[in-house]
Amino acid sequence: MLTWFHLPRRHTTPLSPYLLVVPVLLYYVAFWVQPVLTILIQSVRDPQTGAWTLNNYLLVLHDPDFRPALWNTFVIVSVSVTLEFVVALALSLLIYRRFWGSGLFFFLMLIPMALPPVATAAIWKTGLTAHGWLNSLLVHAGVLAEGKRIYWLGTPRTPSWQLLALMILVDAWTVIPSVMVILVAGLQNLPKDVIEAGYVFGGTSWRVLRDIILPMLRPTIQTAVVLRLIAAIQIWLIIVLLLGFGRLPVLVERIVYYHEEVRGLDIAPAMTTGYTVIVALIVSLAALLYLYLSGAFEREAA
Amino acid sequence: MKMERGKRGYLLSVWDRNQRAYVSVLDTADVDRMRVYMETYLGLKPTNEQVVAVMQQVDAAGGQPVYFAWRRHILSNYATFFRVTRDAVPALIRSLQIAALTIVISLSIGGAAGYAFARYRFYGKNALKFSVLFVRIFPGVAIAIPMVIILARLGVYDRPAGLSLLYSVGVIGITVWITASIFMGIPVSLEEAAMVFGATRWQAFFRITLPLAFPGLAAAAMYAFIGAWNETVAAIILTEFNPTFSVVVYQTLLGATGQVNLTAAGGMAMALPAVVFTFFIRRYIHQMWGGVTV
Repeated sequence: MLTWFHLPRRHTTPLSPYLLVVPVLLYYVAFWVQPVLTILIQSVRDPQTGAWTLNNYLLVLHDPDFRPALWNTFVIVSVSVTLEFVVALALSLLIYRRFWGSGLFFFLMLIPMALPPVATAAIWKTGLTAHGWLNSLLVHAGVLAEGKRIYWLGTPRTPSWQLLALMILVDAWTVIPSVMVILVAGLQNLPKDVIEAGYVFGGTSWRVLRDIILPMLRPTIQTAVVLRLIAAIQIWLIIVLLLGFGRLPVLVERIVYYHEEVRGLDIAPAMTTGYTVIVALIVSLAALLYLYLSGAFEREAA
Repeated sequence: MKMERGKRGYLLSVWDRNQRAYVSVLDTADVDRMRVYMETYLGLKPTNEQVVAVMQQVDAAGGQPVYFAWRRHILSNYATFFRVTRDAVPALIRSLQIAALTIVISLSIGGAAGYAFARYRFYGKNALKFSVLFVRIFPGVAIAIPMVIILARLGVYDRPAGLSLLYSVGVIGITVWITASIFMGIPVSLEEAAMVFGATRWQAFFRITLPLAFPGLAAAAMYAFIGAWNETVAAIILTEFNPTFSVVVYQTLLGATGQVNLTAAGGMAMALPAVVFTFFIRRYIHQMWGGVTV
């Protein structure tokens, strides 16, 4: 009886974890579920009369910018998520190797992650204008002839694939660190002896990477990629800050465009909610599809 | 800089690096006006005597322009940014308040859930884990629009508290992950040992686990800080007369096309916490991201 009092009752209090989790739940209900429900309800009602309707979605689908926005978003997401993942994986494996100065390298690589979008935009806007630091640098390096300039941000006649490529590169610079952080953490937490055993049994670096490190790193990779995927579909701010509205339409840019730029327009509220729900649908489907295809759910069940 | 005789007195011209030419900026005979202009727009700190000396040189040169260069203070663009941009200092203070409140909200609510996640098995544990993903499904901009009404009803619209309530939605999920990872890294046996020696569960947490978790929690707090400090778009929608610092910088970025140096100064002032943050958290990376994966 005495021991019963003095030994802690190990994880038998069923109430306490729920008490700890309830605040998060309430918070989400108040400040996430509530606005989301508002949007969902508004999206199926007529903004003027309040009648139930699907017209808002039809309006969006008939928006001449909808198809380009969808296509641009698709290109950005598929190219940038792949590119960012490959580069981030290479960098994190490099840092995992630990070389002289790898600590400093890691620190410098991480900085863009925490930079505010406004500062990122300021850096690239001052860099990419005709008189910007990038052109000056190229002239000093002798790559570009004195007095010649490259119009990085394009002219109205610049084909959109060039703008897309530029935006993907700028976005990659900002985002690679946040993917890298998760991968580096995953690598650091792998059991070292297993990897060493791989080398002991005669594995080459490539085989150890392919057959030991990557399979063990899979949950980390899934985490990093799905977070990135969700964010990549919602890219817009850097594009608007560098190019302005309308030059390279993407899905979320359309939401802001209709809410901020042309708010006087009759169709603006319908467009805003319509686009919002469509984006949310695309994001959820993409995330679920990725998690399903990469086998995250099987692991969950097991 | 170049000074010569102008129509109204002395014409001051400044070398423009981009146009590779002198650009005339001010024509006046008033020494005070000349000095104030130099202080306000050029970031120089000349005395009246120095200005008069240049003017006398111009008189002596007899129609020839006088070229001179004064070294600018290295932080002059920053000083100018804060002087010219109305609101910059109060906005800076508001941004700090918002960030502090976001840390308090997300770390207390998210930290409690993170502890539960690390120590207990319970129904809905998976849902809690995936909440990081599902709060990100709806674009932040879109959430901010109906939040106007919700915050107005609570009486915190256009106030720092309102914005931190919104920012915490995105931050809490990540905080749960990070704090869960941190608490997982601290063995339960330590808490149990404390309880064997007569401590209550609360005492064991506050005296043993919390001090051990402190560095990791500080890193989690910095995540919250950066999230709140950097956010711009929702702040534009949800502020009217009390913009945050990021909104002020955003406005100079859009508004002042000719004053790239000021935009850069504002941008760098905003970016400074990012560098500090990075320097601090790099050592806690594996502690923070080690435990929870989707």
